Amino acid sequence: MPDRHCKQIFAMLSEYLDGELPVKNCRELERHLKGCRPCIAYLESLKTTVEACRSYKAPRAPALSKQVKAALLAAVHKVISIYLSE
Amino acid sequence: MKSQVEQALANLKSGNPEDVERALEALQGVVYGFGMKVCGVREDAEDTAQETLIRLARQLKEFPDARALAVWLYKVAKTQCLMSRRKSKFAPAQMLSLDALMPKESGPAAPAMKSWKITPEEMVLNKELRSKLEAAVLALPKPYRLVLILRDMEQLDTKEVAEVMGISAETTKMRLHRARVFLRNALAGYVQRAQGKDHA
Repeated sequence: MPDRHCKQIFAMLSEYLDGELPVKNCRELERHLKGCRPCIAYLESLKTTVEACRSYKAPRAPALSKQVKAALLAAVHKVISIYLSE
Repeated sequence: MKSQVEQALANLKSGNPEDVERALEALQGVVYGFGMKVCGVREDAEDTAQETLIRLARQLKEFPDARALAVWLYKVAKTQCLMSRRKSKFAPAQMLSLDALMPKESGPAAPAMKSWKITPEEMVLNKELRSKLEAAVLALPKPYRLVLILRDMEQLDTKEVAEVMGISAETTKMRLHRARVFLRNALAGYVQRAQGKDHA
């Protein structure tokens, strides 16, 4: 990313990907991208990174222990019974 | 995530024992998953989920809708994660400078500028890249890591992330961008290598 304009564009890439960049800046960014292959490549790789995060699933939670589950259910039912009696 | 929380809230409020149990399991899954991404330690994620659910059970009445419940859940889970006994696993809090993160090389042949041919799905399915992604997230300084996980992994919107974190939308966006760039740069070398292997 050699020039000063690339640097300005670099700061806007996430907002652009999220559709949160003001229209004026959007136009400026798209104009720049037309003539700057390194910035296009960087934007694409940033987009892949964001989408990989969105596709990422954490490992499944282990089952709650019987005691914890029983305590939780009791607490929830207590709240619900108060709520329903009001 | 939001549809899971929405369904869970409806189940909780139904009072039907089976639905309540199902709701607790679903919410445990959401909070445990968040805890794993933030702490990277199974025991911490389990503690986080348990403590959060216990507090939820006591405060159930206070959630008018799924959005309020989701914001509350992540706020409490975030605090629990930060208080976890194994918090030394967190990278030291430091600021990420955009200048320092910006690739210095120029020209299409520079490693930082090469195109990625890999799809996001392939990235997550590739065992090595998946573990590099997890490691890069855990290497992020805490304030950036939380914003990235909430926005890109849990898929809250900017306003919701700002609310969970207690920061402005502008600060949220600034941290998010730096966190994404940090992650992208951390993965670049591994992606190039994985692409090289595929084309060999």
